[in-house]
Amino acid sequence: MQLDLPSNRAEAWRWSDLSALPALAGEPKFAGTYPDFHQLPWLGDAPEGPRLVFVDGTLDADRSNPGPIRFGPVEARAEDHPLARLAGQQGWSLRLGPDHAPTGPVQIVHISTGAADHLPAEIALDTDAQASIVETYIGSGWTNRLTAIRLAKSARLMLSRRLIGDSGFVSLTDRAELGQAASLISVTLAAGGTDTRLDGRIDLQGEEGFAEAGGTLLARGRQRHDANLVLRHSAAHGMSRQVWRSVADDKATCSVAARVEVARAAQKTDGEQSLRGLLLQRSATINAKPELEIFADDVKCAHGATVGEIDRNALFYLASRGVPVEEAKALLTQAFVADAIDRIGEEAVREAFHADAMAWFGFPLPLGEEGARREAVGR
Amino acid sequence: MTDVRNREAQEAADKASTYEWGFSSDIEQEFAPKGLNEDTVRYISAKKGEPEWLLDWRLKAYRAWLTMEEVDWAKLDIPAIDYQDAYYYAEPKKKPTLASLDELDPEIRRTYEKLGIPIEEQKVLAGVEGARKVAVDAVFDSVSVATTFRKELEAAGVIFRSISEAVKEYPDLVRKYLGSVVPQRDNYFACLNSAVFSDGTFVYIPEGVRCPMELSTYFRINAENTGQFERTLIVADKGSYVSYLEGCTAPMRDENQLHAAVVEIFAHEDAEVKYSTVQNWYPGDAEGKGGIYNFVTKRALCAGDRSKVSWTQVETGSAITWKYPSCILKGEGSVGEFYSVALTNNYQQADTGTKMIHIGKNSRSTIVSKGISAGRSNNTYRGLVRVNAGAENVRNFTQCDSLLLGDQCGAHTVPYIEVKNPSAQIEHEATTSKISDDQLFYAMQRGLNAEDSVALIVNGFAKEVLQQLPMEFAVEAQKLLGISLEGSVG
Repeated sequence: MQLDLPSNRAEAWRWSDLSALPALAGEPKFAGTYPDFHQLPWLGDAPEGPRLVFVDGTLDADRSNPGPIRFGPVEARAEDHPLARLAGQQGWSLRLGPDHAPTGPVQIVHISTGAADHLPAEIALDTDAQASIVETYIGSGWTNRLTAIRLAKSARLMLSRRLIGDSGFVSLTDRAELGQAASLISVTLAAGGTDTRLDGRIDLQGEEGFAEAGGTLLARGRQRHDANLVLRHSAAHGMSRQVWRSVADDKATCSVAARVEVARAAQKTDGEQSLRGLLLQRSATINAKPELEIFADDVKCAHGATVGEIDRNALFYLASRGVPVEEAKALLTQAFVADAIDRIGEEAVREAFHADAMAWFGFPLPLGEEGARREAVGR
Repeated sequence: MTDVRNREAQEAADKASTYEWGFSSDIEQEFAPKGLNEDTVRYISAKKGEPEWLLDWRLKAYRAWLTMEEVDWAKLDIPAIDYQDAYYYAEPKKKPTLASLDELDPEIRRTYEKLGIPIEEQKVLAGVEGARKVAVDAVFDSVSVATTFRKELEAAGVIFRSISEAVKEYPDLVRKYLGSVVPQRDNYFACLNSAVFSDGTFVYIPEGVRCPMELSTYFRINAENTGQFERTLIVADKGSYVSYLEGCTAPMRDENQLHAAVVEIFAHEDAEVKYSTVQNWYPGDAEGKGGIYNFVTKRALCAGDRSKVSWTQVETGSAITWKYPSCILKGEGSVGEFYSVALTNNYQQADTGTKMIHIGKNSRSTIVSKGISAGRSNNTYRGLVRVNAGAENVRNFTQCDSLLLGDQCGAHTVPYIEVKNPSAQIEHEATTSKISDDQLFYAMQRGLNAEDSVALIVNGFAKEVLQQLPMEFAVEAQKLLGISLEGSVG
């Protein structure tokens, strides 16, 4: 298949490097067997809920317990996005009626054994419905996803994602529309060896909507993480938070471009952005672009961005109390990335994410003890 | 309101100028033929009696320009510009001549008075017949003072010339530095400027010299109109200091719609350059018709260690502003500063900001940007802070605040932060707000009317930047903010 990829001359792709994709897409798939159901990185402590396994974008029905999730045609379109438009029209959908909620968190594991796979998804929650979805991405190929999210009045969605595959590329594109007083919290953790491109467009169409979108990007070697997020306030009294924490080691690059758009009608908007980057090596790069586009005059929008290294005073403080330097660094880095992960509501999910982050640093510290002992696949 | 009346006044004046006060035919007008091609470039160069190398330089730029495309990344709605439908060389146009100040539109005169411009100077600005000599006397104490200034500058070794003069008198210096900071191919507008620049200023401050006075184009521009493609080159040698003022707070009427200027600053070791701009060109009328397009490339190269360049700008005019005064901080311990107030009203659009490129160790930069939008205008801050891998211990602090007056305008912030060195400390803060009712009530309760209250609060909002301006400029700039906001309140 001929790939039509944007160059980094285009503003939205300025910090991207998609040059590996054609080769990845052409790679053969992994021929061996993949781990069985119980060895997949499920969240052990979480209450039992629907579970799905996708292998190279195909539902593994035998090993899934779909509950209310259906597989078939979905309403998810993003023709303007060069990667998302590859997603196709057959995928999974979670449609919940008024006041409905699945019995526990919905867990979805995407396994990529190589080459490229594309899959769309649709999450539509009716009035007062609520759901929590945990997606885990493992493997080695190019995984490309498009997720359309529609939240009706007062619907609530918690979307937690972790990208912990060992190589390859993960590109996720979200298109979300929020109705009145709906709430969306999306947290993404990139703590594997894959390169990523995260695109999000969240539109608060109803009044008093609430959206939080953020994440933690951890990169080493020559890895590149690239997040591109637009949070649009179309109606009044909305509130949004964007908290991103990036850590770049070796020759890695972490880029976050986050924008708050406030339309003319969206008076009394309260928007906040916090983009922070931590550089562990002088060869690493952190890029940040906290953007505001404001057309209403009675709004409160603030953004902050900082880039730097681990605070030497804090390091000295810990060292003076007998904490070994490496451990002190890990502690401080954990504290640094915790801001973004702490947004996750459920304790079991939050701790698993903390454990994944700590495993990336190589320090299974108390906070994530349970999760860190778990053997993740593909690592 | 002011703008409507200004426009009407301008039209009336234009009309008048074709009648009895139109100026006489004994002044020869020389035009290059309309349009832009290699011959136009050659014509300009020949007309100015330029040496061969400069003509070649211009032609090279022209050929490069042909291959380039106009930029479209800015948050600006720029109408298509027909570059062939313009004159690239004309003798300076005369303003309509008035017999006395009484004939001037009272609105314009009121603006002058508000700005506190002396009567005689007002006459020069308004183009009153026979005023020039008097005014020059009054303001600068006649040509003799201008020459006194020049003598004083020359005694200090400072070269302050129009760039055409400098090309003839100091060809080696000009040749060495021209295009060294803003290369020809830098961007579309800078490239066009390189090909057809009309005139501009050249400043050279020799080693160890602290320029005895603040240099201002204003002194020189009174003598001649530098036209739409201005080129400024400032070279500060080791350990020197200069403060340069550009622009004028009085409303400048200009026939040229497109302005594409280039300003280059080269700072050697321990040199310090302070560059202040007050821009108040015609912003178009209240319906957004007309107005100047201001597409300027300004850049400073802090080449030497411990060199410092400070940009201060107050932008209230022009229909469209596209301007990013930048600093390349190459020297160790070099310092870049950017202080900006950009005010837009009616249908004005401004996309302005700065770039701080940190290459040298221990280099520092400060960015303070205050954007004020009123009416139906759009005001964007766009800035880049880049820290290269070799730049240890870089410090940057950025603050960009936006103030919205009214609910039909837009305020945007687009900062880029690119860091490749962990020892860097980069901080960025931004806020967007409106004038609170409490503030307004407080000011009005003390007897100010709504308009003055808003002007007062806006001045407070912009204080950090206005403080950076030289004294006399600061006073005028403050008043200018108030005047530019007229009609946006109540």
